[in-house]
Amino acid sequence: MSAASSVATPMAGSLLVLHPCRWMHRFIEHTGEIQVELEAASEVGIFEAALEAFAELASADGDREPASHRIELATPDRALLLADWLNEFVYLAEVADFVPGTITAFELVGDQLRATVAGHRDHPRQLVKAVTLNDLELTEVDGRWHGRVVLDV
Amino acid sequence: MSSSTSELVRLDETLWEIPASARRDMRVPARVFADRELLEAIVGDRSLQQLENVATLPGIVEAAIAMPDIHQGYGFPVGGVAATELPDGVVSPGGVGYDINCGVRLLALPLSEAELGPRREALVHEISRSVPAGAGKQGRVHLTPAELDCVLVDGPQALLRRGIGREDDLEHTESRGRLDGADLHAVSPRARERGSDQLGTMGAGNHFVELQRVERLYDTAAAAGFGLAEGGLTVLIHSGSRGLGHQVCSDHVRTMDAAMIRYGIELPDRQLACAPASSPEGGAYLGAMAAAANFAFANRQAIAHAVRGAIERVLGSAVAAETRQVYDVAHNIAKTERHGDRELLVHRKGATRAFPGQAVFIPGSMGTASFVLAGERGALERSFGTACHGAGRALSRTAARRRITGGDLRRRLQAEGIVVRCPSGAGLAEEAPFAYKDVDRVVEVVQEAGLARRVARLVPLGVVKG
Repeated sequence: MSAASSVATPMAGSLLVLHPCRWMHRFIEHTGEIQVELEAASEVGIFEAALEAFAELASADGDREPASHRIELATPDRALLLADWLNEFVYLAEVADFVPGTITAFELVGDQLRATVAGHRDHPRQLVKAVTLNDLELTEVDGRWHGRVVLDV
Repeated sequence: MSSSTSELVRLDETLWEIPASARRDMRVPARVFADRELLEAIVGDRSLQQLENVATLPGIVEAAIAMPDIHQGYGFPVGGVAATELPDGVVSPGGVGYDINCGVRLLALPLSEAELGPRREALVHEISRSVPAGAGKQGRVHLTPAELDCVLVDGPQALLRRGIGREDDLEHTESRGRLDGADLHAVSPRARERGSDQLGTMGAGNHFVELQRVERLYDTAAAAGFGLAEGGLTVLIHSGSRGLGHQVCSDHVRTMDAAMIRYGIELPDRQLACAPASSPEGGAYLGAMAAAANFAFANRQAIAHAVRGAIERVLGSAVAAETRQVYDVAHNIAKTERHGDRELLVHRKGATRAFPGQAVFIPGSMGTASFVLAGERGALERSFGTACHGAGRALSRTAARRRITGGDLRRRLQAEGIVVRCPSGAGLAEEAPFAYKDVDRVVEVVQEAGLARRVARLVPLGVVKG
């Protein structure tokens, strides 16, 4: 799949970011952590929405030196694959100061996810410690895909 | 609100119970230490439902227990305690949390606020320059892979060999800063990579280093034993195992999530993923957790060393040399302990060990008081030797940010005479005092319940936030 053409500028503090016809993410009230709800017209869109949610949390005003990372994941459990996808960004933010921007290549075949993500080096603003399995969800209902993750912050 | 809130039964003035009969999958009751007002806040989120979920863990004994600072977390509620009977009771990495051995360390300076005088801002500023804070961040203690191994096995003892910390610090650290059984093979390369340059860093979120004044003593004998004097200065350090611990938890939650089917374990929440402590998966986690816990003790030791360095530069070498460690205690950990005639694995997720006479620290929120307590026998009888770990969040981070900006909060705290250093305005707002429960009320419940007694009340003079 090609890169999304409509990646919006992250809106700090926003509760809802909509991308017409494609995907959206929103942050849900959670006393201790950050809960993210994802919705998309396709399963792949859920992964794009997750990337955008993470980018909104992490983006700061750093040097914005361009960077790109290849991601390869495998698990038969699609909800876990979503958690793993976000955990890659948690890891890259910590060890490479990487903030994701757009997906430049994406392949989801069987248990395998292969992607290249372009973004920039920054000083990530929000420390996301991990992606939890609490209330983790990736489902399709009436042709719409829904995802839910709780991030430990 | 929890579906079972209506089934809450008051056992005494500070203890409430949801009976095991409330849900078919609960093996033991769920108990909460709280007064009526705190309970009203507690039922406002899903923390009691999460506590009921904890009560379903195989091998859990007596009750799933919540401290008065309980709030919704993931899997376990924050402020949750669960003891499973060894050898075959389960260990749940989620019952420890991602920040393995997050904890607090208190230092006492040989100086009063009056003697500090106008050097307060300089001291807070110097501490902020000495302790890297925020997401990621490199520390100033650089470790080779072999040196990291030593830290994972020996904790702060490994840093003493490099002149970081003092022998008497270890004597005032829970378990002398070293959990036995650290298994280097159970710590993944990714965990090592995330933690290798983070020793001596604070992290973000609710982590902090706070300069305080001992405002009031409640128990002068115990305070003297802890080295605290009215009007004296203290520094409270709150941090944990950083990226290394986060990755250890992530790795082992995944392992156990896959293994549960082999052990016939079904749970209402995947984040509670667990395995018998006696199983290969359980053993691997406990070995990795011990390594991460040792790393966290060493991290707080490195931070304390940096704080002593800041004290030396601002207040002189004699003051730094006489700055003593009161105690260092974990509040995210699982430990093997004997309670009565049983050997138990006690999970404390956002909860502090409180053995009789042991120092217990309950930090409030920014701008409010923190407390030093001493563990009481009641804790052994009622909560597996546990008290709470803080005030407990009452508002989400988003709700806190909606109420105040970081700039406004900074000005408000400074108007109260509190020096503030924080790299993130949003991060500051998320930790606003009103986002937390009333720490005085929480501590009152802990004392009334007989878990720990008040020794001293500390008020903030300056805070360095992650």
